[in-house]
Amino acid sequence: MTSPIAHASESDRLALEKDDLLVVRYPRVSGGGFAANLTRGLFGALFATPLLWMLLSSIDSHASWSIGVPTLTASNYAAIFHEAEMRPLLNSMYLAGVSTGVTTVSAVLSAYVLSRRHVPLRRVFLVFILFASGLPVTMVIVPTFQLFVTFHWLDSLFWTSLFLAASSLPFAIWLMKNFIDAVPEELEESAEIEGASSLRILLRIIIPLTIPGIGVTAIVTFINGWGAFLIPLVLNSNPSDTPASIAAYNFLSAFTTPKFGQLAAYSLLFSLPVLVLYLVMARRLSGAFSFGGSLRG
Amino acid sequence: MIETNANRSRNPERPEVSEPPQTEVHVGFTGVFKLFGSVVAVRDLNLDIRKGEFLVRVGPMGCGKTTTLRMLAGLERPTYGTIQIGRRVVNRVSCKDRNIALVFQSYALYPHMTVKENLAFGMKARREPRARIRARVQEVAQTLDVVELLNRRPAELSGGQRQRVALGRALIREPDVFLMDEPLSNLDAALRVQMRAELARLHERLGITTVYVTHDQVEAMTMGTRIALMRDGVLQQVDAPETLYARPANLYVAGFIGSPKMNLVSGRLTSLDGEVAVEWLGTCMALRGKVAATVKKHGSEVLIVGLRPEDLRWAPDAPSESTVRLRGPVEVVEPLGSETLVTVVVDGNRLTTRFPPRSGVQTGDIVELALDPTHLHVFDPDSGVSLREQ
Amino acid sequence: MPVVADSELGLGPRQDQARFEVGSVFFLAPALALMAVLFLGPIIYSLYLAFTNLQLAGPHAVDYSFTGLTNLRRLIHDTQFTASTKLTVYFLVGSAIAGQTVLGMILALLMRRVLAPLRLLVGAVVVLAWVLPEVTAAFVWYAFAQQGGTLSNVLGHSDTNYLNTAPMLLVCIANAWRNVAFSMLMFSAALRNLPPEVLEAAEMEGASLLRRLFTLVLPMMRGTIVTNLLLVTIGNLSTFTLIWVMTQGGPGSATSILPVYMYLVSFSFSDLGYGSMIGLALIALGALFSISYVYSLRARLT
Repeated sequence: MTSPIAHASESDRLALEKDDLLVVRYPRVSGGGFAANLTRGLFGALFATPLLWMLLSSIDSHASWSIGVPTLTASNYAAIFHEAEMRPLLNSMYLAGVSTGVTTVSAVLSAYVLSRRHVPLRRVFLVFILFASGLPVTMVIVPTFQLFVTFHWLDSLFWTSLFLAASSLPFAIWLMKNFIDAVPEELEESAEIEGASSLRILLRIIIPLTIPGIGVTAIVTFINGWGAFLIPLVLNSNPSDTPASIAAYNFLSAFTTPKFGQLAAYSLLFSLPVLVLYLVMARRLSGAFSFGGSLRG
Repeated sequence: MIETNANRSRNPERPEVSEPPQTEVHVGFTGVFKLFGSVVAVRDLNLDIRKGEFLVRVGPMGCGKTTTLRMLAGLERPTYGTIQIGRRVVNRVSCKDRNIALVFQSYALYPHMTVKENLAFGMKARREPRARIRARVQEVAQTLDVVELLNRRPAELSGGQRQRVALGRALIREPDVFLMDEPLSNLDAALRVQMRAELARLHERLGITTVYVTHDQVEAMTMGTRIALMRDGVLQQVDAPETLYARPANLYVAGFIGSPKMNLVSGRLTSLDGEVAVEWLGTCMALRGKVAATVKKHGSEVLIVGLRPEDLRWAPDAPSESTVRLRGPVEVVEPLGSETLVTVVVDGNRLTTRFPPRSGVQTGDIVELALDPTHLHVFDPDSGVSLREQ
Repeated sequence: MPVVADSELGLGPRQDQARFEVGSVFFLAPALALMAVLFLGPIIYSLYLAFTNLQLAGPHAVDYSFTGLTNLRRLIHDTQFTASTKLTVYFLVGSAIAGQTVLGMILALLMRRVLAPLRLLVGAVVVLAWVLPEVTAAFVWYAFAQQGGTLSNVLGHSDTNYLNTAPMLLVCIANAWRNVAFSMLMFSAALRNLPPEVLEAAEMEGASLLRRLFTLVLPMMRGTIVTNLLLVTIGNLSTFTLIWVMTQGGPGSATSILPVYMYLVSFSFSDLGYGSMIGLALIALGALFSISYVYSLRARLT
């Protein structure tokens, strides 16, 4: 039994002889192609359905649990735009922002040393980092809680965000190290010969050349911090410190008949920054790694 | 037995090194080794460079020339031995305190800074006053003719322009020693010739001690006051270009310097009319002078004899001292315009010779060649060392 | 450098041993401090806490003591623990292996055969699900599965709350939905890097699509598949938010996988000591997978 692809149109095959053998042509509408497209289309539609609900309900004044044609309204959004609901968003901003700042700075500094300088036990440290970034935080939440109790760090946005920072560090260091490794060593050697100190080299040469990488690291850390749920749930029971992730959850159970529309609107709002950041990062990643002009090549 | 400075003179296989005259030794390598893991990159290097000299280090890839340069710059530490600049032993001195400048093969310009900022970087790092920085940048930009480029980024510059900026960045600090790592190898041929001349002019004007690394022997021959030829980490010979050409210390040097390469064929020690002679290419030729004495003393039966293509003349065109005659068929004729390279087969060996441009010789012709035996180079077949007047 | 050396040069100690610069400490300090206290600290602390009777509130909240192997014995006899472990395995197989790795592979393979606009669109939707905060994903699926929600309406049982009737299944699907993008992207990249000539040759020789898939493509991607499996397994081992928001571990304890059980024990039943023990078991499990993961990457570590 020969596959439809192999059979795929003798003319295509003959055309291939002419071209480079590496050119592969997939038949547009025949055999496998059609089935694949159909499957994929269906899958995509199915996949998007839950999301569709959120989008539609948020602008529907008669929202329910299911998808329906919305009666367009902006009232859902209007309803959530006051202090009680805005505060958690600010808290999320604090948590994510502080942890991102701390993590990024620490990661850049550490990655520089790990990448360029000789550090005893460097290999051990690197393996530990790899190991640690695979070990999710959930597992240490209980002893962390007790630790916080001992040091009186509970119910503090600041310490919670520090813990968030610590748990994001391993991956951030690994990311940054890869970015810094990509900077040609000769640039630093040249700077060293010219008399620059390590700090100056870091600030004026490494950092400007790894800004896309730093951006990626910061964005990834921020996205993590923004969506954090368990950590603030356990470490901070102060109602005015609730981040948006927990607030959304509370919202769900707050009313006997949930206010679907507002719930959906809040979720959407909550998810928006993450989406925007992701788009920004995807853009950045795809272009920005050339060291044009520094090396002759 | 490890050959160190101490027992150097006792060992006849030691490569020849010409000592600089009594003027100040500026840079000195003494017994320097560099090992990477267990690979020897540089072996027992002893070299003195005098002030204001333009020393070219030449050799094939992997011979250790770049490693030595990096050790001099301070980017690598020697495994053993000492390096001196002036009177200071600089092994422990970090590169920023050595007052040297290095032009990388890839230029290593800072891509995110303008030309002006690239030039000013070193001085800013040393916290020099702003006015002085500005003045120097202008000065150097004018010397190297890059004034219009000051506000551009490296990505916008051509190869030659980048090279000049790299030079400028090195010059601006008025270093004691100027190091260059194959700076011209990435330029096209025409540009290379032009830059060679410019570099030579620059050196004349400024007189800074320069160590220049290249794998191109033409560059080496045209630019250096002295040439240091290295192979597999070992220094083969250090001499002025003409000396290296006329009196190569060993087989390797003889084969490396000079294009087309020296003809090298083995011969046998024999005697002719009571004089020391070699049987070479089917003919007996007497050796003259001190060479004969050395060869005889050396006592080896088998020898390798070399002759430069221009010393193997077309008989009709040869001067009167060319007493030895050879003949053979022509295999290849390569007209170069100003001369013709002709490959002739003599006694089963292919020899390259230089013929005048309009000799009319063609492939297949039997030609007669003439040579003067005083032009012969004799080498020991095992060690490769040249047997010359002691 | 072709020359290989003799280590019997006999010239004494080498001068060029790499040296640690004191300045490096300052650069490393912030990261080291943070990780030591807030990362290593808890891990080590848990080793102690797991063997105590510490409570969140109650007689042993402040005054707690070392209780030896009590907690461990309790763990072994705890039926709920066994049940939770089983649920966790079910979750891993259903969501991680089936839902994410296998599905991700299928998607990646399909990606190569579809029209560009469709590929982009579906790709975007899948990635979107991944990027959204976990709470949002959980929430959206909660709505989807509710009585009167979209799923039940479509399937015709509009009064069924699927979170009550098939909680584990739904949770698996939701988690897979959320995370499949990761596997899909990873496999897409790997597929792109396969040498096309080998596949072409097989195609020319008439090998069927399926045969090419199983005898060529999959074996060539073995490394990536293993890596992906491990990563996804570790990630799923610690799923909390999604399940908590959707079902709080219920109904009853139908979806109480280990992390959820650990949370409940520690903070709802106030038993921090025992909770730590469960946490240790979880860490051990995670470490096991982590080590295999690092080990499998060993070859590529510089």
